Amino acid sequence: MMRRKEARAGFLFALPWLFGLVAFMFYPLLMSLYYSFCDYSALRSPVWVGGDNYVELFHDEVFWTCVKNTLIYACVSLPLSMVVAIGLAMLLNTNVKGMTVYRTIFFIPSLVPMVSLAMLWLWILNGDYGVLNTALGAIGIKGPNWLSDVAWTKPALILMSVWGVGNAMLIYLASLQDVPTSLLEASELDGANAWQKTRNVTLPMISPVIQFNMVMGIIGSLQVFAIPFVMFPGGTPARSTYFYATYLYDSAFTYSRMGYASAMGWILFVVILLLTLVALKLSNRHVHYGGV
Amino acid sequence: MSKLSDLFIPGLIALSFLALAGTELRAHPKDDPVKTHIAVWVGWSGFEYDAFQSVVDDYNKSQNKVFVDLLSITGNSTKTLISTSAGIPPEISLLSAAEIPQFADAGAIDVLDEDCKKYGWTEDKYVPGYWGVIQYHGHTMALPATPSTVALHYNTDILKRSGYGKPPETIEEMDEMVNKITKVENGKVKVAGFLPAEPGWWRWSWGPYFGGQLWDGKSKITMNTPENLRAMKWVESFSKRFGPAQIQAYKSGFGVFASPENAFLADKVAMEVQGVWMNNFIEKYNPKLKWNAAPFPYPKDRPDLKGHTIIEQDIFVLLKNCKHRAEAVDFLAYLQKQGPMEKLCLGQKKSSPLRVKSDEFWAKQDNPCIHLFDDMAYNKNCIATPKIGIWPEYEAEIGNAMDEVSLLQKTPEDALKAIDARMQPKLDQYLNRLEKRREAGK
Amino acid sequence: MKRKTFETSVTHVALVTLSCLFIFPFLWLLDTAVKPISETMKQPPVWIPSKFEFGNFWEAINYGSDKVGYIPFLVYAENTVMLAMLVVTGTVVSNAIVAYSFARVRWWGRDLIFAVTLATMMVPFPVMMVPTFTIFKYLGWIGTYRPLWVPAWFGSAFSIFLLRQFFKTIPFELSEAAKIDGAGEWTIFRSIILPLSKPALSVVALFAFMGTWNDFMGPLIYLLRQETFTLSLGLEFYHSKAGGTQWNLLMAATSIVILPVLVVFFFCQRQFIKGISITGIK
Repeated sequence: MMRRKEARAGFLFALPWLFGLVAFMFYPLLMSLYYSFCDYSALRSPVWVGGDNYVELFHDEVFWTCVKNTLIYACVSLPLSMVVAIGLAMLLNTNVKGMTVYRTIFFIPSLVPMVSLAMLWLWILNGDYGVLNTALGAIGIKGPNWLSDVAWTKPALILMSVWGVGNAMLIYLASLQDVPTSLLEASELDGANAWQKTRNVTLPMISPVIQFNMVMGIIGSLQVFAIPFVMFPGGTPARSTYFYATYLYDSAFTYSRMGYASAMGWILFVVILLLTLVALKLSNRHVHYGGV
Repeated sequence: MSKLSDLFIPGLIALSFLALAGTELRAHPKDDPVKTHIAVWVGWSGFEYDAFQSVVDDYNKSQNKVFVDLLSITGNSTKTLISTSAGIPPEISLLSAAEIPQFADAGAIDVLDEDCKKYGWTEDKYVPGYWGVIQYHGHTMALPATPSTVALHYNTDILKRSGYGKPPETIEEMDEMVNKITKVENGKVKVAGFLPAEPGWWRWSWGPYFGGQLWDGKSKITMNTPENLRAMKWVESFSKRFGPAQIQAYKSGFGVFASPENAFLADKVAMEVQGVWMNNFIEKYNPKLKWNAAPFPYPKDRPDLKGHTIIEQDIFVLLKNCKHRAEAVDFLAYLQKQGPMEKLCLGQKKSSPLRVKSDEFWAKQDNPCIHLFDDMAYNKNCIATPKIGIWPEYEAEIGNAMDEVSLLQKTPEDALKAIDARMQPKLDQYLNRLEKRREAGK
Repeated sequence: MKRKTFETSVTHVALVTLSCLFIFPFLWLLDTAVKPISETMKQPPVWIPSKFEFGNFWEAINYGSDKVGYIPFLVYAENTVMLAMLVVTGTVVSNAIVAYSFARVRWWGRDLIFAVTLATMMVPFPVMMVPTFTIFKYLGWIGTYRPLWVPAWFGSAFSIFLLRQFFKTIPFELSEAAKIDGAGEWTIFRSIILPLSKPALSVVALFAFMGTWNDFMGPLIYLLRQETFTLSLGLEFYHSKAGGTQWNLLMAATSIVILPVLVVFFFCQRQFIKGISITGIK
């Protein structure tokens, strides 16, 4: 009886989303799945071609180049950004004078519109006089050609992604507010040092949020798009910055191959889904729900 | 909980209602009882948009039947594509000539053949290069908006320093000049005579500049031909002469294109292929620069190619299934008259696609080379993007091959073979599917 | 105690150094905004302009006001504010309710639907654009703001997931105790969960605000008239394909555009701090 009442309440609470899901999500999702089996340019009506798009993708060199680039990018940028974001959030959670100002400053890179940001980076990473290479030169390191050397374009993009961790940082910061000070104080009385406190109290307490950022990080880094799209049109030099989502976008809108792009979209969907499930399974053991 | 925070959510919702009313009012204009409104979408902004808006304004005032709702937006192609696919296209959209095959093959463009007869928009009225690019399979698919050709822009100061009083006539001459102008000190490039990858916008054009064809006009990709190979070897020769790493390092120091650090404006590259618009960038970012322009050189053994250029033209297409076709054609007819066309082109600092031009039009132009750009469009060797539905993908492939060859990752022979091998099946598939649709009547 | 002072000074040094790195884009933006156009984007950089042109801000706001088709900057700002208002309210209200259901109420099929919810974020956006557009076309909403804000009132996967994770960190004993006192789900949600979740709700609100403020693709494809445009579309008018970019004016306008977000953020933070005192009690 109690159970049924609860279930009805739960369903009622979820109703807006259930409606949103059906009204705004299902149709586009199913249509894109259907298009992935079609010859479809967005302008012409779709014509069923079976698994042709998937077969073609499998033999598409550019596709595999993009897969490789994306995996390299994600494998480095995701863990790095997570560590940096948590670190910064903890730093911003300390009790220091002027914290509101610091927090605002740390969030700034996330506020600047993408196009301005791309211009800024082109300027910072300039090989001759760029701010970064000038700074490196001052400490005796000869900076690489960030923008034109195929070996350095991906590291440049990873660097930019780390610098743009503002959103994840903010989420961590909010979650750190939920860590009861009483627990921290208790462990301090037990003689724990800063690292032990972090390891044994703080991290377990915010673990659901770490899990959230991990999942969003997987999705975001495998779908990396805006910055490479603006800064390296076409994935120059020599497709070293051509990523999965940029190729997908080009296929859909530049090459007018919406069906092909949809097939790419659904492959990526399956990959992300599997990775997310694995990541959730592995991390669930360490995730701690329900506070105390 | 305090009283104040109790009011927070209701307050937010109340404000939302105000916002709702506001957005609804803004989004719904009053009905116009007199004039039929047509939607015209363009990707122009800045002074180009201003020029067009003022022509549109003249048109709106000139009669009382039609009103043009002008929309200027970057990403106009994508917007047009999506709206057309949903069946609610604008009446007229501004595309580039290279986009015609994709839209035309999909049956999204309303062919203008009948209107051409009615209004006298015929070949002899337009500059040949500009008329040529709007034809597709024998039909007129669009009308010229504002045109441009490209030429070799050169920095007269740098040329003079190396003892040259005039631009190169042939590619061989140009190579010689490049060797003399390019300065490499301690393994670092100081000045470059010319770089095939700067600005890197028409990387597909080197083959055609050597007399090559990119396809046979029907069903064959023809990248691996002697002319195209010669062009690719020429591209490679720059890396061989000055070192791929040196060029890469040099390019890494170039600034953003639309800035004073543009390689040509900052005296880093002495010669560069650019269009009629380059004058605007020079005036804005480095008005002190001394420059001139000439047709891109031709290979010594192909004097027949002398005076060739690439046609770059913005075009107006009429979209199929739009609501007010007749009114849209009326507006197009207005634009194709000499007066409005000259006003538009003058405002955009370009030449006019019409053969007949007034003295006043020429007198008001501020680009010192404007006659050169106009003359070149009459040349019989005008280079235009191939009229082929998979062109954007083909172009990306050629560009990437140029990258690989410049980095000496691939030999020119291998690179060309790879393009053929990748693009031929794509073209076959494209044409095949098009044929099947035609049979099925879709 | 000595350890404490040491820690604090290390923190200070770290904060100041990192601040310099993070504030850099904003300083660059402001610096570019007050330069004459010929000194923008220079290499090596011109840090201090030969002449400070503060008039650029005024000029940026009035850019193009001498032209026929001029739409005041203020109109774009107004549109964006109204739109952001609708999106933020919708996002906060709907997602809080929905996330509560996913986090703290047991019902049949909940976990399956939650998995589906997560999955919707994994299909890349470009392949959904055309069919989504078709839906709004059938509703007759193209050219209005509705496609841009109505969906926000029915929840978004990202915010549901985020809030669910936060709600899950709140001790279940609190709700159990309330239930024993006879409280229904709505009461628990309203008087226990919501007050304890202010930090998370502020984050969701802030993201919704920023998302709308900077959204480019949505307004691009759905809006049909110049006077309905938003700021992010308006910023495009400082670029010109054939005439170059007015970098100084663009950056001046960009600074003006991000300033409100900065202010909103600065004040939103107070919500985070409030969170501390509440959780301190438990």
